[in-house]
Amino acid sequence: MTTPILEIKNLHVKVEEEDKEILKGVNLTLPAGEVHAIMGRNGSGKSTLSYVLAGKDGYEVTEGQILFHGEDLLEMDAHERAAAGLFLAFQYPIEIPGVATMTFLKAALNAQRKSRGEEELKIPVFMKMVKDAAAKLEIKQEMLKRPLNVGFSGGEKKRAEILQMALMQPSLCVLDETDSGLDIDALKIVSEGVNHLRSENRSMLVITHYQRLLNHIVPDRVHVFSDGRIVESGDRDLALELESKGYAGFDNHAA
Amino acid sequence: MNKDIKLSGAEEQLQALLLSHGNKEAAAQFAANGLPTRRIEAYHYTDLKSLLREVPSALAVANDGASAKRSNFDGVARIEIVNGQLAGDFDVEGVSVATSGNTGTGDDSVVLLSEALVGDVVEIKISGELDQVLHIDRIIDGDAAINADKVSVTLEDGAKATLVETYNGSDAAHLRLATTEVVLGEGAEFSHFQLDGNSSATRHFANNRYELNADAQLSTFVQQSEPQVSRTTVSASFVGGGAHADFAGLNMLSGTQHGDITVHLRHLVADTTSTEVFKNIVNGRGKAVFQGKIDVAQPAQKTDAQMMCQGLILSERGEVLVKPELEIFADDVLCAHGATCGELDENSMFYLMSRGIPRTEAKAMLIRAFLAEVFEPVDVEAVVHVLEARVDSWLQEQEEA
Ligand SMILES: Nc1ncnc2c1ncn2[C@@H]1O[C@H](COP(=O)(O)OP(=O)(O)O)[C@@H](O)[C@H]1O
Ligand SMILES: [Mg+2]
Repeated sequence: MTTPILEIKNLHVKVEEEDKEILKGVNLTLPAGEVHAIMGRNGSGKSTLSYVLAGKDGYEVTEGQILFHGEDLLEMDAHERAAAGLFLAFQYPIEIPGVATMTFLKAALNAQRKSRGEEELKIPVFMKMVKDAAAKLEIKQEMLKRPLNVGFSGGEKKRAEILQMALMQPSLCVLDETDSGLDIDALKIVSEGVNHLRSENRSMLVITHYQRLLNHIVPDRVHVFSDGRIVESGDRDLALELESKGYAGFDNHAA
Repeated sequence: MNKDIKLSGAEEQLQALLLSHGNKEAAAQFAANGLPTRRIEAYHYTDLKSLLREVPSALAVANDGASAKRSNFDGVARIEIVNGQLAGDFDVEGVSVATSGNTGTGDDSVVLLSEALVGDVVEIKISGELDQVLHIDRIIDGDAAINADKVSVTLEDGAKATLVETYNGSDAAHLRLATTEVVLGEGAEFSHFQLDGNSSATRHFANNRYELNADAQLSTFVQQSEPQVSRTTVSASFVGGGAHADFAGLNMLSGTQHGDITVHLRHLVADTTSTEVFKNIVNGRGKAVFQGKIDVAQPAQKTDAQMMCQGLILSERGEVLVKPELEIFADDVLCAHGATCGELDENSMFYLMSRGIPRTEAKAMLIRAFLAEVFEPVDVEAVVHVLEARVDSWLQEQEEA
């Protein structure tokens, strides 16, 4: 058996300097090539899980383990996780005035390459990469000239996240409510972008609130998330069941 | 005047220097007031009695400046003022350079010292549109000394020029007293940059005074990042309608550095406008001060004056102290001031790092982004290079500290 891309074992997380536990024993195995969906109501801890995976400060893991390609993920800094192939598409991408989008993309790609011992990208190669990837996501060149995420509409921000994902070619994509704030057309474009990246060496964790996204990005498995843990797992029919029964029907289940 | 003031050792020395310089009146005036303390509003955060406990004992003497560090830019017209003495001439059509004795004085003790200790004033007259950038390298060479120099620029009506001033010198604990006066004639346009190449032991005091006549356009930029103590005062009088000025500046401080930029604008007549953008970055126990005062006189209707000051604090013990003051006697004016102060944004840091950018580099990107706004209007390439290189080396130093 090959090593799964991601294994989360009995993960307990609280906010630093507070007693409040947010993740209360998450278990999840994500084999290579699979797309898993996590569905749960607001406040159940989905974004917290995505932040802990990506390495945000301010959270304390009190119990449990995360293995990424069999390695201890929690030992790595956020930037090392990215270079090792983990990508988080943010629920709320951050606006950074004063940093040009292209400058940022080049810095990020080259930093990742450097930490893997690869050469820096030649400028024309980089420009072409970005141009091609942007065209597929119907991102205008004009948008790339603006400061990072500044003045982007909600939909543009989400598309810019997928653009970054396409450029960085991660082995694990964590998409946190990428569908929120998207109209039907944008949802199609973004979903196609994501589907295009599906491959046997790449896994995806698609976090969403609505099953709508899963009509476009069809998952291999669906996990229902409630109060900081997975309470039920199944195939994609579980998402439909959830849609008809509502989250209340899954409260107090044990995984 | 308070005749009973007890002078510190440094103050006694400064008084003696004024006397030996042959200026009894100034010596008496200085002895009555001493160096400014925090009780004087304009020095509220910069108490010179405590910041200047030791001063050099002698004035800088004539010197060829051979050993001092210099700034050199390609394609500019250059003169030097070494230990107060003019060296060189501008070979630019429309520019004349001469020297004359100084008659200036002042109530403020620093201004008083600066004026009283100046030897020759370097007078620059500009007519027409210059096709070359002017550069004055103001150098203090030799052993630690007190050095007062003064540049007086007059732009005739319709003249257009760019002046880059650099402060350089030998690596000693100088006390620099630099004065720059600029009169902009009607419709004149002037860009003025002051770049800091002082030694770290220097105590730097610059007084910049501008007068803007009708339709004059001014932009200024001050960098303070090197000396132990630095204070630049920028004062401007808008005396002709249609005049506009943009003032910008940067304090970039670490260790135990103290940097103060104090701006005083006087909108005296109708239809004049100004903007101020000042940025402060502190690390270690660095202390940055910005004071911005705007007076709008009763006849100065339609004044539009916008002041903005931002601070970025990189360490627990760094401080940014900001004091805006508005005194408005006209009723139809637009005046606003804004001040923000904070640390690097954690969410921005995480976002950049989550894309593979290491912490140090992410921090540098955000610091450069913070500065972008104040560098953006700088349109002299040589100046942009100097500033960017200094930011790079500064960031490097902070990493190594
Ligand atoms: N840094 C934090 N400090 C305090 N509470 C937090 C913090 N981050 C998340 N929480 C709380 O944890 C719970 C889960 O939040 P979140 O992970 O954003 O949920 P979801 O993404 O499922 O909506 C919420 O009650 C939220 O208020
Ligand atoms: Mg969320």
